[in-house]
This record gives sequence, structure tokens and C-alpha cells, in this order.
Amino acid sequence: MSAGLDNLKHIVVLMMENRSFDHMLGALKQKYPKINGLTGNESNPDTNEAMVRVQPNAQFQSQLDPDPDHHFPGVDLQIFGGAPPGPGRVANMQGFVKDYFSQTKDVNRSHNIMYYFAPDKLPVLTTLATEFAVFNGWFSSIPGPTICNRAFAHYGTSFGQVGMDIFYILDTSIASIYERMIQAGHTAKIYYYDQPSSTMEIVNLLKNQPQIFATFDQFIGDCSGNTLPEYSFIEPCYNDHPGPDGGQILASDQHPDHNVREGERFIGDVYNAIRTNPTLWESTALLVVYDEHGGIYDHVAPPACTPDGYTASADATGTGEPFEFDRLGIRVPAVLISPWIPRGTVVTGTEDPVNAQIFEHASIPGTVTNFFLKGDAKRTVREQQAKTFLGLLTDQMRPDDDCVVFNNLQ
Amino acid sequence: MAPKVINVPKTDPGAYNPNRPAGTLLRSQGLHMREALIKHVHELTTLLNIEVKSLKTEADVSAYVHKATALLHTHAGKPAKK
Repeated sequence: MSAGLDNLKHIVVLMMENRSFDHMLGALKQKYPKINGLTGNESNPDTNEAMVRVQPNAQFQSQLDPDPDHHFPGVDLQIFGGAPPGPGRVANMQGFVKDYFSQTKDVNRSHNIMYYFAPDKLPVLTTLATEFAVFNGWFSSIPGPTICNRAFAHYGTSFGQVGMDIFYILDTSIASIYERMIQAGHTAKIYYYDQPSSTMEIVNLLKNQPQIFATFDQFIGDCSGNTLPEYSFIEPCYNDHPGPDGGQILASDQHPDHNVREGERFIGDVYNAIRTNPTLWESTALLVVYDEHGGIYDHVAPPACTPDGYTASADATGTGEPFEFDRLGIRVPAVLISPWIPRGTVVTGTEDPVNAQIFEHASIPGTVTNFFLKGDAKRTVREQQAKTFLGLLTDQMRPDDDCVVFNNLQ
Repeated sequence: MAPKVINVPKTDPGAYNPNRPAGTLLRSQGLHMREALIKHVHELTTLLNIEVKSLKTEADVSAYVHKATALLHTHAGKPAKK
């Protein structure tokens, strides 16, 4: 075991909303060739069959309205370019513009789905990605929307769900990562931003286990007071709403069409809360990851994966074919932060099939269970086989002045 | 030597728009909240009578979610300040 692991006492996961890897981090390839981002030549056909290249024109807000489609049939079109479900079709990542046209009804506007951010627009995420470890191959768990993907982060499975519907967990033998931790005498919490924003984990967790929830203010207090649980999951603010003193609280989840810069500032707040407490900083691993790609272009075809024993019916998928949970969703940004991680660590993905390390959201409960519970919990095969990420912590802790701090300008 | 400090610019003040139409995610959140509220049906008749599909804006959903969460989550601390 590395010295970094010996010192590890806390794992914190911040899960943002609906942005693809290439959209947020793809531009880094130009300066950091090991990062599997964009060359600038990637393209998709529009509805006039004109090829639309990726462009570094992404703005913080107003370009992705209406919200790009990211439900199962839409993502199927994005991945397979419109080839009907069936054996032998190829994941060519050629259907993004056409799918967005189905919402915008405007050819020019449908091209926005190919836009990506210039790195200087995202100083927090791109700095963390280049100062610590970035994953070339972290994929959403399902080619579909938020609720089912987030379920993989909490349970290691979505229990057969591929959509946003309310579902009750009938197989109670698979406990959430929070229940597993607490039942074993460990500590775990979900921190949502505040009550007007609340959580997305409602019917199965908030309703029945309110004691595992706290607010973001409490996270800040737990960081400064050295009372942070062993495992923490943070939810950003999901909507714009008035503050308690008449102020304005902005959504920080980065879900289109919420302001991406506000999300940057939120990521910086989470990082700073850990970074500025020396005791916490040397004993914490922070993972910043996105739940799914939100319908936005990424050039990497999602690989096959271990099925988790469930099948979504053809009615549920909406494609006319059932889904066996045997393919991952589209790639998302993921960055692991710790002073025990060397600067510029790039975790190889599908660009190097021999050395590929593929991660997905089942990697989160998989990692937490392996580290804190020594793997002692009933889990799906999918979670058991998910790659874990703490092996990136080394024996060498970087000095304090070698790790950045963010200053959110007021 | 002090660590490198990276300044993060302020968000555009025009970004705040609680009247933005609520998207699929927030509407789903409202529906899930309604489902969870059934546990408290006797206390929550008023909230349950609100038609979630009629919630048009983020402010609408936010107000609904706020009330629902306060009832479901009595462990919450004081509201966030900004």
C-alpha cells in the first residue's frame, strides 16, 4: 500500500451535471497530447449532410437552449449515427448534430452541439485536470439521462432503469454505499446545496434515510471543523432561486442552460474547503465527475462493459430493442485530486487498448467499498468488476506550495 | 513559497434567471418529491394538491422543492448564504 493510501481517511465525490469530456476538457490535447481530447478535425454531419467540425466557441450560457436530448433513444442516435438497433452496427459518434436539430429545428443552431471550451474559460476544471489526474476513459454508466446514471454512483446499478422515472428498489440486498458504510460503523453523507435545490436522490434515500443528508454549508463546516465523514457525496445547486437574505443563488450544476462559470466557482469552493485545511488536505481524495454528457459531442465511442444482470425492455429504451446494460454511456470529465498524485497524471483510456483503464460510476461505490469495507458488501457483478481509482495515490506527497488555491473574485 | 493562486472571475450578473423554464431534470425532481411526500400525506394535503406539471419556471419548482424538502428533511441546517 502506498503512503498516500496509508494516509487516506476521506473520499469526497462531487458530481456535476451534463457535460461531455470533449466539451469541457477536449481542448487540452493541444498542449497535453496524452489527454485524449480533440484534434480539431472531428466532425458530424448536419441534416443537410454538410460536415460540421468541432469549434472552440462554447459559451457559459445561452448556446444550449433547448436542453440537448440525452434520453436513451437520442443518445442511441448520437452514438450510432442513426443506424437502427441490431447486430453489427458501429458506434461512430456521428449523430449529435442531427439529434440536436430534432430539438432546435434550426440547422445553424444544431451546430452548437459541436462547440467546446477554450481552456482559459475553465480555469478551475482545466487546472485541476492538469495539476492532478485526469481520466481519458471515465464513461457515464448508461447511455441515458441523470437519475439512472446517478443511481450507479450510489448503488453500483440502476436496477434496470434507463430513464428518469420514479422507481422503487425491490432488490433490497443491494444497499446504497451510505447504508453499507453506516451499517459497518463508518460515516457517510450526501451534501445537497440547500433546501430549495435539494437532492436528486429522493424516493429511495431522502424519503427513508434523511439522516444521511446535510447541506453544503454543513460540508464547509465539517471541513473546517475536522468532522468530515469518511465518505461524502456532494450535489451542486440545481436551480436559480432567491437566497435567504434576498440575494440570488445561481445554479452551479452546469446543466444546460445554467451558467458554466458558476459551476467552476462551485468546484473551486469544494476544492478550497479541503485544500485550505492541512489535516484534511493530506488525508482526502476528491473526485470531480459529471453524471452524463448531456447530449453534447464527444468523439470516443463508449466501450462494452460487464452486464449487471438487468434488462431494460424495448418499451423502456424507446429504441425498439431491449438493453442488456452491456455498453457504457458517453464519456464525461473526471478528475482525481490529492497531494499524493503527481502533477500531469493522465489515466489511459480506450486510445490505448492494451493499457486502457475504463471507469464508470459503479467505480465510485466500488472504490469506497473496497477501501473502507475491504470489499465486504453484497454488490452487483458490474460494481465488483468496475475499476477502482485509489491506485493513483503514490508514496510522494507534494509540498504545500506545489498545489494551487482558487480565489473566487467577488 | 506560497502556493499559486488562480483567480476565478465573477459570474455574469445577468446569469440569474429564476424565470427560466424548468427542464426535464427539475420537473422530474418535482415528480419524485411528490412521490416521496405520500409518506406524509396527512400533513401535506396542500402541497399534494399542487399540480407539478403546472410548475413552469425554476422559481416555481424551487419553491415547491423547498417546501417538500423541509418536510422530508428535518435534519437540514440553516439555508445557504451567498
